[in-house]
Amino acid sequence: MMSSATLIRRAAPVLACIGLLAVWQVASLALKNDSFPTAIDAIRAIPDILGDKESLINILASLRRMAIGFGVAVLVSIPLGLLMGRSRSVAAFFNPLLMVIYPVPKAALMPIIMLWLGVGDVTKTLVIFLGVSLPVIYHSFEGAKAVEEKMLWSGAAMGLSPARRLVRIVLPAALPEILTGCRTGLVLALITMITSEMIARQSGAGNILFNALDMGQYDTVFAMIIIVGAMGICLDAIFERVRARLVRWSEPQFDMPLSFS
Amino acid sequence: MTVVPARSSEWVRPVRSQEPASAIIEIDRVSQVFQTSARKDHVALSDISLTIEEGAFVSILGPSGCGKSTLLYIVGGFVSPTSGSAKIKGHAITRPGPDRGPVFQEFALFPWKTVLGNVMYGPRQQGVRAAEAEAQSLALIEMVGLKGYESFYPKELSGGMKQRVALARTLAYHPEVLLMDEPFGALDAHTRTRLQNDLLNIWERDRKTVLFVTHSVDEAVFLSDKVVMMSKSPGRIREVIDIDLPRPRRRNELLLDPRYQKYIVDIERMFDESDEAGQAS
Repeated sequence: MMSSATLIRRAAPVLACIGLLAVWQVASLALKNDSFPTAIDAIRAIPDILGDKESLINILASLRRMAIGFGVAVLVSIPLGLLMGRSRSVAAFFNPLLMVIYPVPKAALMPIIMLWLGVGDVTKTLVIFLGVSLPVIYHSFEGAKAVEEKMLWSGAAMGLSPARRLVRIVLPAALPEILTGCRTGLVLALITMITSEMIARQSGAGNILFNALDMGQYDTVFAMIIIVGAMGICLDAIFERVRARLVRWSEPQFDMPLSFS
Repeated sequence: MTVVPARSSEWVRPVRSQEPASAIIEIDRVSQVFQTSARKDHVALSDISLTIEEGAFVSILGPSGCGKSTLLYIVGGFVSPTSGSAKIKGHAITRPGPDRGPVFQEFALFPWKTVLGNVMYGPRQQGVRAAEAEAQSLALIEMVGLKGYESFYPKELSGGMKQRVALARTLAYHPEVLLMDEPFGALDAHTRTRLQNDLLNIWERDRKTVLFVTHSVDEAVFLSDKVVMMSKSPGRIREVIDIDLPRPRRRNELLLDPRYQKYIVDIERMFDESDEAGQAS
């Protein structure tokens, strides 16, 4: 038997989505603009996209680049961030470099990278990598810096070498913060994935979206926006599950998970 | 030895132990100077010499800011002294090691490990097989009174329970010296008393050497064989007092013992005197 509070909490995200679609539907009917299809028309276009083999190949290619870009970024950024957090000289060396890269929109680097590496997978994956790296480095850095000195001393007294302390104490202690960075990184991966495909149009979900825009197929455009949004929600929900499992031990956080579970 | 209040301005130097065979820790003319944010030198410790005998329970007692914790960190190898040296069993202390087990006021437990995981951490690190480490750790957890809490995470425990886990975690790797840094300072009075009693009971079993930092006079007298009184600015040893009270000590007996009361009164009076001297100068 679910309490009414739980029921409301469970139903709230669904109601919010229905509300958004309803507002969209009404606004579209009221505006009567060709480039603004109704919500129902957009939803109707979704099965056509997902049923088309070509489109599916495009979307899967996007997801593959995103997974590789995100994975490599996480593998590189976490160790770098942790080292920066525990060593002042490492931080002094990398901080200015990162400060220069941070405010630059990664998509703005694309034309140059395209000149070097072409319009293929490598360029797009590299842009995703750049987009994901910075928040993950930053949060790993902050997490490592905040690790209690006495906890490291306790480890040192047990005979852990500095390298082992980094892996066996700093990494787990900073994990909640690192995963916050990864979550931001995941959303950024999705965004840079689409923007990279907007600039280097060759394949991918962004390619479908912007080709449809060029051809005035607005149903498809909005259907793709819904699909990309849904991908974001699903990825985030999966990530949130993994995160909650990994940091079960940490303080309960009252953030609202972006999931429909 | 009975307590003789020192003459006002005379600093009484501790006499160096004459039996090197029983000395486990030797602190020789240690000074520690920190740079403050205003780029001024702050002398935290000035010319400290102290010998601690094996199996002794020694408290370092003093007001906050007298450098008593810094002295403990130097023995732990966590901080290097600006000058002078500290030795354990004749070897110079250059870094932390499992022969010296710290217990901190902040507990410093590994929050991602359960109670059992925390206690097993040291033995596992030293290559003890998992089954053996687990058996030893379970026994220690029971000894500190936490049977039934093995699978709890630190965030699920009260302050007193956390400190019990921290003690068990340190005892688990068999350090020769326990370094306790105001371990009960963050606990409420009731929990503090219970942990003092339990610590003494545990200590009576194997009489490990304990170096115990505190600012509580009755805690120091209740627990210790020897109380090292420190004064601040700069941190110096003011007096070393042998606490000649029978063991095992029971709180309810001691509270009625005039000798116990006299130690407390005398030590408090000495602190008052140095405060007045400090104000006059």
